Amino acid sequence: MATDTTTDDGFGQVSRVKGVVFEYLTLAASLLGIVSLAILLSYVSYDAFGLDAAAPAWYVVFLLTLVAPSAGFLWYVRDRSTVRSSISGVLSVILGGTLVALGLVVVLSIIVGPDVWFAHSLFILGPTLALLGYARYVDDSAVWAGTAAGVWLFVGAVLTAIDDLLLVFGQQLASPFDLVTMPEELLLQAAILLGTPGVYFLTVLVPAVVLADRYVASRSNDRRGHSLAVALVLVTFAAVPLVDTVPAVSRGSWLLVVVGFLTPLGVYVALNAADSDSRLGLAFPLVVLAGLFAGRLVVDVLGVARPEPWFDWQLLTSSASATPADAGLYPAIIGSVFIIVLVAVFTVVFGVGAAVFLEEYASSSGPVGKVTRFIQVNISNLAGVPSVVYGLLGLALFLRLLGMGAGTVIVAALTLSLLILPIVIISAQEAIRSVPDDMRQAGYGMGATRWQVIKTVVLPEALPGILTGTILALGRAIGETAPLILIGIASFVTWAPDGVFSRVTAMPMQIYGWAFYPDPGFRHGVVPAGVITLLAVLLAMNSVAIFVRNRYERST
Amino acid sequence: MSKDVTQDPETDSEKLISTDVSTDDADGDVPDESQVRTVIESQDLDVFYGDTQALQSIDLEIPARQVTAMIGPSGCGKSTFLRCINRMNDLIDIARVEGELLFEGKNVYDDDVDPVALRRRIGMVFQHPNPFPKSIYDNVAYGLKIQDKTENLDQKVEQALKRAALWDEVKDRLDESALDLSGGQQQRLCIARAIAVDPEVILMDEPASALDPIATSQIEDLIEELAEEFTVVIVTHNMQQAARISDKTAVFLTGGELVEFGNTNEIFENPESERVEDYITGKFG
Repeated sequence: MATDTTTDDGFGQVSRVKGVVFEYLTLAASLLGIVSLAILLSYVSYDAFGLDAAAPAWYVVFLLTLVAPSAGFLWYVRDRSTVRSSISGVLSVILGGTLVALGLVVVLSIIVGPDVWFAHSLFILGPTLALLGYARYVDDSAVWAGTAAGVWLFVGAVLTAIDDLLLVFGQQLASPFDLVTMPEELLLQAAILLGTPGVYFLTVLVPAVVLADRYVASRSNDRRGHSLAVALVLVTFAAVPLVDTVPAVSRGSWLLVVVGFLTPLGVYVALNAADSDSRLGLAFPLVVLAGLFAGRLVVDVLGVARPEPWFDWQLLTSSASATPADAGLYPAIIGSVFIIVLVAVFTVVFGVGAAVFLEEYASSSGPVGKVTRFIQVNISNLAGVPSVVYGLLGLALFLRLLGMGAGTVIVAALTLSLLILPIVIISAQEAIRSVPDDMRQAGYGMGATRWQVIKTVVLPEALPGILTGTILALGRAIGETAPLILIGIASFVTWAPDGVFSRVTAMPMQIYGWAFYPDPGFRHGVVPAGVITLLAVLLAMNSVAIFVRNRYERST
Repeated sequence: MSKDVTQDPETDSEKLISTDVSTDDADGDVPDESQVRTVIESQDLDVFYGDTQALQSIDLEIPARQVTAMIGPSGCGKSTFLRCINRMNDLIDIARVEGELLFEGKNVYDDDVDPVALRRRIGMVFQHPNPFPKSIYDNVAYGLKIQDKTENLDQKVEQALKRAALWDEVKDRLDESALDLSGGQQQRLCIARAIAVDPEVILMDEPASALDPIATSQIEDLIEELAEEFTVVIVTHNMQQAARISDKTAVFLTGGELVEFGNTNEIFENPESERVEDYITGKFG
């Protein structure tokens, strides 16, 4: 110990050796993690993108056209925080929009189907929106309009509910309800007449564009919203010939991509285009895109040997196969998205509900307080239980006890929901607890009921935290394999699921299955490409979570 | 739940009212003897937090449309008393209230009293400015919205901001976040939020203790104006502040006792109890 080195002149020295050693140890620990992750990723990417086939000239070309300009751009704006936040914002919107578009395609065109969707939007969504719009914008003089929307909603909801029951329970119920299903027949004819793109245009694209227009108008005082709406519709139609040339993307899916991907992107661009620094940030994706195209052009012209990627359009759009060249992830991607959509619904409803109850309603003293604490401790313990145990639970509960079909969407979704529910509850509780008590007091002091305080003060404040925690937990669920094996998810399913009771496979499961195929093409090509797909989805989800959290931190 | 207005017939309160002289010189705003009535009255009020007794048999009458100040050292129970009036102590699990606290003649701790309805008639301003992280407009409109009083919302918001002497400073930026305001502006916004719903009483828990002297004096001016329309009960650590703005003063001392209650000028000039004199002259507390 060199702490007592007081000398005659000056104040002496205080030793900092331990502190410096500790600092470098922590630095080494962080670097170790980052470097090993980077090595793993580059190893996987090397296989997935087939980089061994590429000539050195290929690297040089893309270094010059893609990497150098992008890096130069980032270097140029390194000190301008507005530009940087705009870059991270637009990238998150691109990644998140891709996920939303994918989710929309899966939910609307594969799970629900355009005709059923048409019936629901006509009978439930339409009148609900009409009623809400009426309540908000129309004055009392047009009571009949509100009443009509209400009646329409009620009748429509009853009709569709009966119809849904028929769908679920099949024919044994069908005969007494023939009268009720007659309008459904008419509706079906209408849906066929409109065609899938027509249905989506009317029920999804138009409302989304109107919503985007209103949203932009509420955030800016010029007519940018209208230009955005017009531009979106024009792009939708103008791109149809181009879309027709792409295999595996129908016109209906294109419309959903416009809604899920282009609309949020358009809103973000419209809101940030006024400021010159933000506009510069929006240019970053263009730099990357231009670099990609330029690189490709140069490579084509020079005739340089290209990499032979396994991770390509074919992988994303074809089904499982025993030959590596034909193998694809399509059913697994759709299956994973289907499962994760259901998991998101279950965990948000039950997880956030439980967190609100435990934080806001449950008493912390007396016998009830003891029960609450007991529950609390158990939730914390459940969060640490290995996932394979949840697989066993799913097997015992959903397959054996409730007799659901092995390897089906609903079983996978319920099991994974159980797995991440404790994490969602704990993170939502943290978020709710971090709302300052001052805010609650202010709400109660204004004469708000407990429900009003939760609805108007606590939840809006806690929402970003809840969202971040939930998205991170969903990211964990999408990558889980062990519970899926136990509940009998197959690793070779050649078609995408079309309902909650149909058999399904998921991305990690598919990758796990491929890993044992004898053909080396799987181990050295398809599996890495699948890993890259899975990581891309995870990365997209996490970046959305980070974007949400950053916005939240800036606003408070 | 509104009951008949109680004109307390007891001579005690008559005496208190008749000897009432405002400490500031603006005597014009002191209501006539006949108009002054008791709005809030506590009778033998005890409050316990678990096993600790925070207030000991408090008897107190708070007159309408005047400023009543509660002073005393930390932990003397003055804030507890304030929070009893609108039943904010209900939010603390271990708090227990015995005795009666009458608001407009009705015991607020009766079983048929809805604390939420009570709080809609008794506004509250807290020690630290606590505007919601919403826009300035939404903060003021909050109470009106949760009470479904949304007709003429813009007008009511404007009026509340004007009454809180904040309108001129914020009228061009109503859509901006309330958190961008300075501390003093935030506190006046909280006052605007409280008066927007037109309560009968405004409770203030050390409303200026977190503010600088200029913001404090703005708040004090505002409180004097508010007393023309509302009954104001204010807890303060600052004895000069109590002397400047209040008509009546209640002195609480350690242990949750109400030691003295009366007209502010009498208490500050000629306190009956020696303990109060010691406290006021700064010998302790």
